[in-house]
Amino acid sequence: MLSTRLLTKRYGSLTAVEDLDLEVGAGELFGFLGPNGAGKTTTIKMLVGLLRPTSGNARVAGVDITAEPEQAKALIGYVPDAATLYDKLSAREFLEFSGDLYHVERRLRDRRIAALLKLFDLQDRGDDFLSGYSRGMRQKVSLASALLHDPQVLFLDEPTVGLDPQSARQMKDILQDFCREGKTVFFSTHILEIAERMCTRLAIINHGRLVAMGSLQDLRHMVGQDGQSLEQIFLELTGSREEDVSGVLRGLES
Amino acid sequence: MAWRARPGRGGLEGLELGLLLWRVQLQMFINQTVRSRQAGRIAASITGAAVILLAWSWEGFITWLGVQASHRVPVRVDTVHVLSVAFLVYTGVLVFSSLVFSLNALLLNPDLDMLLAAPRPVESVLASRMVVQILRLFLLSLLFTGPALMMLAVVNQNPLIPFAFAMLFLLYPVFVVVIISLISLLLVRIIPVGRGREVLTLFGIALAIGINLANFLLNPALRDPGFGRHPSVAPSLPDIPAASSSWIPSGWAGRSAAAVLSGDWVTAGQWLLLLLAASAAIFAVGSLLSGRLYMAGWIHAVPPRRRHATPRVRRLRGAVPLLSPVLTAVVIKDWRMRTRDLAQLVRFVMPVVFLFIIFGLRFPRLLDAVRSLGDGPPAAMIGLIPAWILLFSLSISLGLSAVSLEGKSIWVYAASPNSTLRLLQAKCWSSALPVASLVAVAALAAEIIIRPGWLWAVTAVVLAIAEAAAVTTLMVGIGAVFARFDWTDARRMMHPAGIFIGMGLFSIVSGVSALLLGISIALAAVTRFPLFTTWLAAMTISVGGAVAIAALGILFGNQRLRGLEVG
Repeated sequence: MLSTRLLTKRYGSLTAVEDLDLEVGAGELFGFLGPNGAGKTTTIKMLVGLLRPTSGNARVAGVDITAEPEQAKALIGYVPDAATLYDKLSAREFLEFSGDLYHVERRLRDRRIAALLKLFDLQDRGDDFLSGYSRGMRQKVSLASALLHDPQVLFLDEPTVGLDPQSARQMKDILQDFCREGKTVFFSTHILEIAERMCTRLAIINHGRLVAMGSLQDLRHMVGQDGQSLEQIFLELTGSREEDVSGVLRGLES
Repeated sequence: MAWRARPGRGGLEGLELGLLLWRVQLQMFINQTVRSRQAGRIAASITGAAVILLAWSWEGFITWLGVQASHRVPVRVDTVHVLSVAFLVYTGVLVFSSLVFSLNALLLNPDLDMLLAAPRPVESVLASRMVVQILRLFLLSLLFTGPALMMLAVVNQNPLIPFAFAMLFLLYPVFVVVIISLISLLLVRIIPVGRGREVLTLFGIALAIGINLANFLLNPALRDPGFGRHPSVAPSLPDIPAASSSWIPSGWAGRSAAAVLSGDWVTAGQWLLLLLAASAAIFAVGSLLSGRLYMAGWIHAVPPRRRHATPRVRRLRGAVPLLSPVLTAVVIKDWRMRTRDLAQLVRFVMPVVFLFIIFGLRFPRLLDAVRSLGDGPPAAMIGLIPAWILLFSLSISLGLSAVSLEGKSIWVYAASPNSTLRLLQAKCWSSALPVASLVAVAALAAEIIIRPGWLWAVTAVVLAIAEAAAVTTLMVGIGAVFARFDWTDARRMMHPAGIFIGMGLFSIVSGVSALLLGISIALAAVTRFPLFTTWLAAMTISVGGAVAIAALGILFGNQRLRGLEVG
């Protein structure tokens, strides 16, 4: 459903993503992990066609996102990190706008909007301007917008940031249902607990390079210690060291 | 709360914190200009500096001319009174700029919470804002008057003149800034959260209308009886006798400044000391009071009201039935964004208000002058002037900002399965429709009133509509080339270079059109071709040329958007 070959993005002398090879199948809930600045958001933006790769290519359902961006984008739903929405539109108006951009037939669009607003508990606030929405509510509107045109692959960048526990749980259920329909979810997160519980497979990226990919069990084998939590695996693979943190904190006290 | 107000402490700490904030702002300015490592910004900084140097040279030269003229033709002037009036007028500028600055600082600047969280007295944080504003006004005063003061120092052979005036410029704003800052603390209490920018826009409109009305009513250049001057206004700029009263700061500053110019340093020092003492006292009391007001909860703005979309607006969808769903969606979305945001709405309203001030108030005399031309194309063309002014203003404000209007939400469109050319098409519709409609109304109204003959009136209106659509499309293209997606503030959406190029191209298109139409009249007279034939030919060439340039603009705009990366 989703594949990348030697996907690379450079900004001058800075290499944000380097030679990334990914394969994600239909029905997978794929977690994309990495420390801050590792290249997660850059990768997702390349996969949804917002950034052009410096080299390499990415395909969504067999369609090359660089060569045929419009065909590929029709198959994609995207929820950015801290989505900026149009403040002076209501949630309903924003979703109508989004549906029209994705060529959703008008009556079908209106039916889906009603269903999605109800699903996200926003039906009472659907006609309020988005300027009055909290971050979590905006995140819900953003997800509703991404689901509106029934995409084949859903890309989410830190989708649970700003959501309360109930909403985070609800989002998890929605994503799992989405995958049960044979569609694919590709999401980045810092919350390893969610990734551990939800994802069928995971990839870890560090300094723009893929350092591991596979199921949780595969990753455990990779680091050579069964029974380890994803957090321990993550820290091991990305080279984060707890003792350094303690040392710095002790230094601040003196 | 461990903190207790101690008189003077907040003021002094405010001074220190204000200087700290000023240093940070200076660092940011340097980082964004000469240290930006971006060729465009560095070039713009150098160009800006060159323009300032040029303006300074000009100001210095004009001052020298004025001094020479005063030596040759002595004029008896009450220097104290003139300078006091100047300081009082300056007070008006100070009031407005301080109000905007203070409300900005309280409602829009993101750093207030960070400063208030620092272990410093609240009064010092609020006082620091006053210090920053005073320093800003001080530097602006020097920027505008520096060369004149230097020239006066040279001519009077008195090098202390600029320093004495600098002291006055530093001290004079203090009382205004402090009072306005306190008033702002009270004002934010009635401004809902999230509406700060709109309130500031309202202040801007009030000032712009006030200046234009004052200009219309008071400007001696408009005293010509050919213009409709209000009869109750005296035929000269009004004097303000109280300005030089020794009981108010403008009188103190005026006396001190006049004494500096005449070399009477004792008198100058006395009035300056009075200003210094009053400024220090009001700053100390003001910073203490601001802390008290904050602690009493006055700084908290009104919670936002829930704003709804009305059913009336929802019915808009049926209003654009002929366009594709994507184009319709963008047109309707843009219309909603423009009409629901006061700062955007002003872009529609202001040109109309100014047209009323420029033409409406002088209407009867202007109409007589135009009607005296009789029937025919010249009267029809002159009738298009209000429509042209409207077109100039609207095409630039709506067309240039059309693409940037997406702001940071551009990702919504960029992630959708639609081309950049389609976005530009939609932006052309969303800008050209309202612009052409308003221009058509203005042109139609003028032609109905002037009555140049129905055939000429119809062709003039058609010309106005066609040029409006073409010119607005051109502006959309230029706006795409210079698109800025970082700003939601309507004033900052347009790139200065885009405005400059847009104005230049508008002038060229308008000038060439007028020339062609003029040639068509002359040609008909010389060759005895029917006037209507040459007129139609000129119109066709004029509109065709504008359409061609607009197409080029869209082509360049699309190239720029296709190369754009959102991230």
